[in-house]
Parts: sequence; C-alpha cells; structure tokens
Amino acid sequence: MPFAEAIRIAVASLRSNKLRSVLTVLGILIGVSSVIAVVAITEGLDAYIAERVLELGSQSFTVQKFPDVITSREQWLEMQKRKDLNLRDLQAVRDACDACAEVGGMLTTRRDAKYGRITQENVVVMGVTENATRIGTMREITTGRSLIDDDVDRGSAVAVIGSDVADAFFPNMEPLGKEFQIDGHPVRVIGVVEKKGTVFGNSQDNFMWVPISYFQKMYGNRRSVDIMIQARSMDTFEKAQDQARVVMRNRRHLGFNKPDDFSVETGESVLELWQNATRGIYVVTVVVTGISLIVGGVVVMNIMLVSVTERIREIGVRKALGARRRDILRQFLVESVILSLFGGLLGLAGAAVFSWGLATVLGNIMSTTFTAPVRLWAVLLAMFVSTLVGLVAGIYPAGRAAALDPVVALRNE
Amino acid sequence: MAAASGPLIRAEDLWRTYTMGAEEIHALRGVSFTIDPGEYVAIMGPSGSGKSTLMNLIGCLDSPSKGNYVLRGKMVSQMGDDELAEIRNREIGFVFQTFNLLPRASALHNVELPMVYAGIPKEERLARARRSLEMVDLGDRVTHKPNELSGGQRQRVAVARALVMGPSILLADEPTGNLDTATGEEIMRLFEKLNADGHTIILVTHEKDIADHAHRTIHIRDGKIESDEPRVR
Repeated sequence: MPFAEAIRIAVASLRSNKLRSVLTVLGILIGVSSVIAVVAITEGLDAYIAERVLELGSQSFTVQKFPDVITSREQWLEMQKRKDLNLRDLQAVRDACDACAEVGGMLTTRRDAKYGRITQENVVVMGVTENATRIGTMREITTGRSLIDDDVDRGSAVAVIGSDVADAFFPNMEPLGKEFQIDGHPVRVIGVVEKKGTVFGNSQDNFMWVPISYFQKMYGNRRSVDIMIQARSMDTFEKAQDQARVVMRNRRHLGFNKPDDFSVETGESVLELWQNATRGIYVVTVVVTGISLIVGGVVVMNIMLVSVTERIREIGVRKALGARRRDILRQFLVESVILSLFGGLLGLAGAAVFSWGLATVLGNIMSTTFTAPVRLWAVLLAMFVSTLVGLVAGIYPAGRAAALDPVVALRNE
Repeated sequence: MAAASGPLIRAEDLWRTYTMGAEEIHALRGVSFTIDPGEYVAIMGPSGSGKSTLMNLIGCLDSPSKGNYVLRGKMVSQMGDDELAEIRNREIGFVFQTFNLLPRASALHNVELPMVYAGIPKEERLARARRSLEMVDLGDRVTHKPNELSGGQRQRVAVARALVMGPSILLADEPTGNLDTATGEEIMRLFEKLNADGHTIILVTHEKDIADHAHRTIHIRDGKIESDEPRVR
C-alpha cells in the first residue's frame, strides 16, 4: 500500500474522532510547547541580559573588597577579613595604570531623602569622584551640570539626581538650586539625569550622585571604596586589569603564592552567573519535557490500542481483500505518527502564543522591547521528537493489528 | 478468469483441527472435492457442521491442519500469511452476509480497496472501480457512503468490490442473510447473470431456497461431505 493511501486513511480516521484526537495529544502538546517556549524565553532573556551587561560598559571593571557573587557563608566570613580599599589605593592605581583611561572611586548606600514633608525612600546615594560618572555606561544630564573636580575637592554639598527623585520632590518646579536632606544633611540640586526606566522591575532612576568627599563627611571614611576603571580600549582591557591587580598586590605586600585579597569584577562575571542559572533551567526543562512526552506517548499508545480494537472487523475486511501484515502495520504506524505530529504542531502553535504572551508581559515589566524568538531548530526538533514518540507508541498497537488472524477478525462484532 | 486445463479447486482430504485447552476439536474430517471453472456451487449444512471452516479454507483465510488445497494449480495449503494475502487479493472475491463495507468510505473507494493492496495506480483504480460499479447498476451511486445506500445496493457494492480484481472465485457467505426476500432474489439474479458470464461462484448458506439457485450442492455434516450432487431440475 502506498504511503499516500496510509496517510489518507489515518487523517480520515483522526478527523472522525476529532475530540478524542485532541485530548490524546495533550501530553505531547504540553511537552513540545513547554520546551520551545522555555528555549525561546531563555534565549530572549540571554540576549536581554547580555545587552544590559554590555551596556554596563564592556571596557570597564571595578576593584572592590567583596566579589559580586558570594556563594557560601564560609566565603562570606572569609571576605569579611579583607582590608578595606581607600582613596590612597585609588590614587596609586591611577598613578601606575597606563592602560587605564579613567580611574574613579565610588561609595554607595541606600537612604531615605526628604524635601519638606515629602520622603523618597531607598534612594541609592552614590559618593563619586568627578570622573566616575563617565566610567561604564554614560548617562546624559538633562538639566543643569555634572559634578566637577572643584565639587569633589571642596566636598561641596551638591547632588546630581535621578529622575525618580526629581519627579518626587519637584513635580512642577525647577529642581536646580533646590535644597533637600539626606539623613539631616543638606544637599543642593545641580543637575538631573536622563530617565532610564526599570531593569527586572527595579527603577534605574532612584539615585543621586554626590561628591565622594561629601559622602565621607556624611557617613565617615571607614567604608571600603569601589575603584572603578575604564580601560583605554578593548585591547587594553585585560592589561588594565592586570596592572590594577599588580598595584593592589604590591600595596598589600602579597607574596606570589597568595591569592588576591580583593576582587576584580567585570560585567562578564554577572553574565557567567546568569548563564549558569539558565543552564539549570534547560536541564529542568528537558526533564519535565521528557516526562510529559513519555506520558503523552503512553496516552497515544493507549488510544491506538483502542483504535485497533474498534477496527478489528475493518482489519479483517482489509486482510480478506488482500492486505498483508505490513500493509496493516504501516496503516496504524502512520496513524500513530500523524496523531503525535498533530500534537507537535499544536504544541508549536501553543509555544508561539505562549512565548509571545510572556515576552509581552516581561517586556512590560522591564519596560523595554523583549523578544522570545521561536527558532527553526526548536521547531525541527519538536517535529522529530513527536514523530519518534508516534513511532514508538504505535509499534505495539500496530503490531497487534497486523498479527490479527483474518478469520477471528472477521467474526468480531 | 481460470486457467483452461484441469479443475479450478482441488481439495484433498482436508482436515481442520482446533485445540481447545487439552481437547482437540475436528471441524473438518477429511473433505475432498474438485470444482471446475465456471461452476456454481452451494455449500450447505447446519450450523456447527464445518461449512464456515471449509469456506475459510476455500477463501484462503485459513490453512488446513492436514491435506492439500490446490487453487489454480497452486498449492495454497502450504503458503505463508503474506502469500495467502496475495492469493486472496487476486483469486478470491468475498461477499459477506453483513456486506463488510468500510462505513466512512464512498462506494467508489470501497471498490477501489482491493486494488490499493494490489498496488495499482490511482487513475486505473478509479476507472476500474467505476466500471465495476456500473456492472452492478450502481454507476450513479459512486460517491454515496454505505449508510446512504439500501441493503441491496450495499450488497451490490460488495459484489462490485469482489469482482474488481477479476478473481477466479466469487465466494459468497450467506449473501442474502441480511436482506429481505425480494432484495435477496435480486442479488441471486445478479449471481446467476455473473455465472452465465463465466464467473465461478461458491455460495455458502444454510437456506435451501438460496442453495437451489446453484447448479451443484455440497452438503456438509459433522465435518464431512454428506452428499455432493448436481441440482435436480
């Protein structure tokens, strides 16, 4: 029997049992759509994260007391023993590193800011050197001016504020020249920074820059300074890191066999962390998908057994008319494969809708455009896997149908 | 049509034994006969006589436990499943009591079916199926499904399907069992016409009225041939 005929019979049989066919392939539908959707979404997130991390500055890095990622309590306790970094370290790096374009310092804390009776909570207060605002991502000043060397030298009580702070305090006023308070210390607004929106639901605009010297006046100089460095170019990025590391090791008198007692962090370490996390997501997805495909396959097999039982007489008639074992076998295998392929196709449609929906939701949360592309290889894989499931699930029922004795089959009521 | 020389069917000492647990049941106990091309034979017998078993053997749906069955010079009794399927496809045209048409397929497609298994190309299949349906006066019903046809029409579709491969034997199992008397007579007249055209017909029935249409009657009882005689006019 030619394949075309087997396919025709299979499609007719599935069409005559529409509801049953749809219910049968639910497992495969869920399996296929979950794997495609998860792949699409993690890929979308990957692209998003990579873009964001790169935006942090592909040529910038920081030298800091603590690493960005601490994975255990033991490590955390160990890190506590590290020495603080201070402005003299900063100066030493600045003097010795010729691969560095800019070396700046930053101190950070979160405080509530007050203007009259208005309180803006959890403002990220960054005490920075004048050049720190030019390291990594550039942010445009929309009104007023940026910090200058003079502000830092004098420790002036001035601030460049993010748009959240400006909107909260001065919704209908000119913010420049206005004075507000952090922890009882007065600061005067000299500039407002362009709005950036949110990343993972966190506003990027609830912050202020003050001169690092004023920060130390307010909170003391016993905090460890993060040294922020911009390399001259992509090519000197590694070299700049090495030079900064050497300076710090010399200042700490570390022997060649001692590990660094400070951390050098680039955007890449965050990216790495993310990629490790998504690898975990992939593994879980594969397991979940595997289970749902096995369940889906069992359901398909079950329904194929029902289909064979229902059509014993038809099989008898076909055999009486000259169908050989392999004709019957092929007929039911094709039916089983088409059934699961149908599930796979529904799954694809489901995945497309699901990842489009999730991308829209995520895009809204992050207020950026976010794409979750359904890849061709995912589509092909889904088709291949559902064909395979159909074949495996169909072998036993089809084999039973093919082995039926025509006399017995024809007698079946 | 059948080969010119020798009998169409030669059955020699056919036995068919079923094993039911420890017990052996002999449905056929040494049946021998020959049938020549162009004959119209009725096989009669009460239920349990072994006539259905004999029909299955003649129709190549089953193989004898012992003895030889030669169809058109071919030793069918020693063939395997797939060879038997091919013999059924080419040599036997079945007509069943319950018609056994595929319910979801049109009359045309039902008639096409044996040719599908013979590997005949689509265009030829359609042309031959149409011709076969015209032969049983159903040329205007080709697209109808079985449930849109009367009982007599359904049985005529079945006859068209049985004849479409040009088989050696038309093997009919109680072909009028599900039809009223008038329609049954109509089918029997069709058989007579087909026999007159040269088709060999074997009719299995327990009704004497129907068996009387044949030109020769073989009576089976308890797995043996009780009598084998031409019709007395």
